[in-house]
Amino acid sequence: MVRNPFIIIALLFLTSLICLTGESEPLPKPSQWIPQDAILTFELSNPQALFDVILGAKVEKAITSVPEFQALTNENGFKEFLGVVHYLETALATDWKAAVKSLLGEGAVFSVLPEDQLVFTADSTNPDLLTQLHDILFGFAKNDAEQHGDSDRVKLKEYNGVTGYSFGNDEVHCIIGNRFVLSNKSNILKRIIDNRTNVEYESLSNLNHYKNAQMDIDPEAALTAFLRMDILNQVSGINNALTRNLNPMAALLAAGITDSLSASNWLLAELCIDEENLLLSTEIDGKLDMSGPMAFIGTNDRVGAALPMIEVPNQIASFSFFRDLYKFYSAKDDLFPERTSGLIFFENMMGIFFTGRDLTEEVWKEIKPEIRFVAAEQKFDSSTGIPAVQLPSFAVVFKLFHPETFGIVAEEAWQKAIGLINFTRGQNALPGLLIDRPVYKDVKMTLTYFPSVGEEDKSKQDIRFNFRPTLARVKDNLILSSTDQLAEDIIDSVLLEEKNPPEKISNVHSLVQLDVDRLASILESNRETIVRNDMVEKGKTKEQAEAEQVMLTRIMQYFNQVSLQVGAQDDTPQAELKLSLNLPAAE
Amino acid sequence: MKNQNAAFDPQWAWESYVPSDERPWTLKWVGHLYRRAAFGASWEQLRQAMEEGPARTVERLLNPSGNTDEFETSFDEYESAAANSDSTEGLRAWWLRRMIQTPDPLKEKMTLFWHNHFAIDCGKVKSGVLALQRLRLNREDALGNYAHLLQAIVHHPTTFLALNAEKNRKVLPNDNFAKKVLENYCLGPDMVSEQDIHETARAFTGWFLIRNECRFLDREHDHTNKRILGEEGDFDSQDVINIILRRPDAAQFIVRKLYRFFISEVEEPAHSFLEPLVRLFTADFNIKKVITVILKSNLFFSETAYRKRVKSPIEYALEIVRGFEANVSTTHLGNDLKALGQDLFHPPTVKGWLGGRHWINSAALIGRCNLAHALISNSAPYEKQLAFDTVFEKYKCKSDEESCQFILNLFLQDDLDETVRKQLYRSTADKKPSSWLQRFTIDVLTCPEFQIG
Repeated sequence: MVRNPFIIIALLFLTSLICLTGESEPLPKPSQWIPQDAILTFELSNPQALFDVILGAKVEKAITSVPEFQALTNENGFKEFLGVVHYLETALATDWKAAVKSLLGEGAVFSVLPEDQLVFTADSTNPDLLTQLHDILFGFAKNDAEQHGDSDRVKLKEYNGVTGYSFGNDEVHCIIGNRFVLSNKSNILKRIIDNRTNVEYESLSNLNHYKNAQMDIDPEAALTAFLRMDILNQVSGINNALTRNLNPMAALLAAGITDSLSASNWLLAELCIDEENLLLSTEIDGKLDMSGPMAFIGTNDRVGAALPMIEVPNQIASFSFFRDLYKFYSAKDDLFPERTSGLIFFENMMGIFFTGRDLTEEVWKEIKPEIRFVAAEQKFDSSTGIPAVQLPSFAVVFKLFHPETFGIVAEEAWQKAIGLINFTRGQNALPGLLIDRPVYKDVKMTLTYFPSVGEEDKSKQDIRFNFRPTLARVKDNLILSSTDQLAEDIIDSVLLEEKNPPEKISNVHSLVQLDVDRLASILESNRETIVRNDMVEKGKTKEQAEAEQVMLTRIMQYFNQVSLQVGAQDDTPQAELKLSLNLPAAE
Repeated sequence: MKNQNAAFDPQWAWESYVPSDERPWTLKWVGHLYRRAAFGASWEQLRQAMEEGPARTVERLLNPSGNTDEFETSFDEYESAAANSDSTEGLRAWWLRRMIQTPDPLKEKMTLFWHNHFAIDCGKVKSGVLALQRLRLNREDALGNYAHLLQAIVHHPTTFLALNAEKNRKVLPNDNFAKKVLENYCLGPDMVSEQDIHETARAFTGWFLIRNECRFLDREHDHTNKRILGEEGDFDSQDVINIILRRPDAAQFIVRKLYRFFISEVEEPAHSFLEPLVRLFTADFNIKKVITVILKSNLFFSETAYRKRVKSPIEYALEIVRGFEANVSTTHLGNDLKALGQDLFHPPTVKGWLGGRHWINSAALIGRCNLAHALISNSAPYEKQLAFDTVFEKYKCKSDEESCQFILNLFLQDDLDETVRKQLYRSTADKKPSSWLQRFTIDVLTCPEFQIG
């Protein structure tokens, strides 16, 4: 165990160690040394791209401008840490950023193997720096061990022409050429040393799955992660999670992702990064089987194309899916065979709302597969009332095959549902909803709302005043919204689409977009509620809960938007996650 | 039931305890006082009480110094926000949090007492707002005026809702409601006749619950004469409560319950033994006056009272949390206490939690053990909430031995048999050093001595 905190700090500072053996031949790629049973492997393949961002002025400013960081710099522990950094900078005649760039400059790999075995390698552009740093740290560790009367703890040993070191019981390392190799198990390090020039070695780079995954890697990717799904799928817990029947909503949203993962041998994730965006794309080798129950995410055995997302003012989130509800519900016995009480209740209620129509043939078949959701921040007027807990408004927009006929059926069902809500609330002596039929831009809506007559404190109204359920129909668009405000915004958006019909996005069946700054605004509006909840949920003091909330909001400020798209190219599922950054301008 | 009190002169029993060489003020009695009049104590509180002596400590518990208003106001706001739901889970979490943090623990303890005495299942009420109103009634008069409290509770919407008496029509008096009110809230079982019950039900006619508010409809009230507990007249519901309060049985019923709550569950005292307290209570129904006498009494600080109650799950858990000066997730704690049989706002019957030996059975003991383990080992759902090491650091426990002794002092005031002490140390002897202290603490908190208070 390394007891001296300075040594731990220094180890962290470097994130690596080295052992020089004077090998003159160029080293093989690090993946040539990683055992092929590695379950998860991260590769820093383009360090410069990563360093440009995370060691850049914008990120530095983003971190140093956080008050919590400024407070941390005044703590003794942090000052000691800086002291060590300065010492090392002086001793190595460099600055810490340059040292990190140099020590990891040729890339790094971190692998997780079965039985909690770990391997880390780092390729330095400056082997001399690596050696100097290692010597200093070795001296620290030795000194520390001797001071604690435990001089046997720090060891060095020759093995197969390489000097191996250990600073403690759970760490062994060596330096070969410009490469630092660290593991928590000596047998792993020995395997690497033994096979360091063996091209036949059962290494990751000789694994076909790895080779296949590497074929399409974006050369710009700063970081990649390779996951052995073939090994994970043998773990019963994971296998059960991926193959068990989901509940209907999860089956509808997950749309074949779990099936594809369970049929995959590998998953590859690539991260491209610049100061504006983080782009994470994933790929698997499992094929999407569109011939079975999963047919509902496409047409004619091809993945369907989702519509572009709806955009409204104050938008928090927008979703667009291609989901054929008719096919989905027709395959329900395969997708979720269990007849739960929830499902039975749902079918009974839908039977009532749709006047005994067959749910599959006469309801879902009337709805086109392009379905969109949107959530937006609400603006409340103090004259009409502000709820104590402010919730976002949300809406779903369906497209109908026969809007003129089924539109009326849907409106009748909606009004029945409102009537049922009123009836149930009446049974519990709770205020009900009033029904109105206002017109907005020639669109007649069914608006329902809770009257605020008699409400004494309009500044902290009941949570029910977040809801003004509204139905509206614009051409073939059927809008079901939690508020009339959002319904009207969607009407505006849909009317614009009527003038300029949007093009569907091919090979993408799911689109999600989150506006982080707006989400932060909602969190800010509900700060008191969240703080109170954290106090009783997590046992925090009010001050702790508030500090966490402030920190979360600050972190969210550094992001503009998060978007995700999921689809398939030639039956191969693909997903892309994009984070737009909002870093402060460097001075 | 054996009556050990027969050996005591009631006058001596209820006189104030004054420490002497024969009956010194020791940590044992400090711990005893805080177990009964609070939900346990931190080491700092125990130490302060040792220095101050019994009179000042009891006085501080009865009339806490400092500004408690700020605390009460902010917690009132938290509770109000949590009441906007049909469920009482949020309220339960905030009440537990209040019990943990309150600077006025005796008031919360007495609120719990009245919550149990005027027991209803708030599941039938289906309104957090009403449940909170009822809790506040209990809290406002927890140490206040019993007559006022009884009138308010009996006429609160939650009582009518939970006892199925939303409509009290002239033609259909609700005898069942009247019986429950008389027997459970006012006089105790077998104290009233069938006629008293029926006539009381007639006196309550006219009360209707309309949109969760109590309204008295005069046209539905039976204005004819009634004969209740020996008195006759055109009584309404308030008159009935006043008639009840004029009877010494009513005061006796409450004083007996207070005796069981503060002194002993083991024995049933004779009427004559309680007579001084009953007289005091009947004078003006001032709850605080009676509790003052009880907490200062020789009897309270005697072996007759010491470790003569089984801790309720709430007392058990909160003593651990308050001992470690921690805050924990009271949402989860509420669920764990429910599993142990004490679900706040949902006592099992209108008789409340029976308490005593009913708290303890093999399943409950395993449950208490699991709860102690979860709290002390910081495992789910209490990760990083109970700062085990911080307390040792704060009180300068420099070695494992000192920490062990600290735990014994804090939770058992070091009052345990040598055989038990040896057993506690022996049972942890083979554990790894890193978990040794943790294991020791769990063993202390699960030993029989810590289950009783």
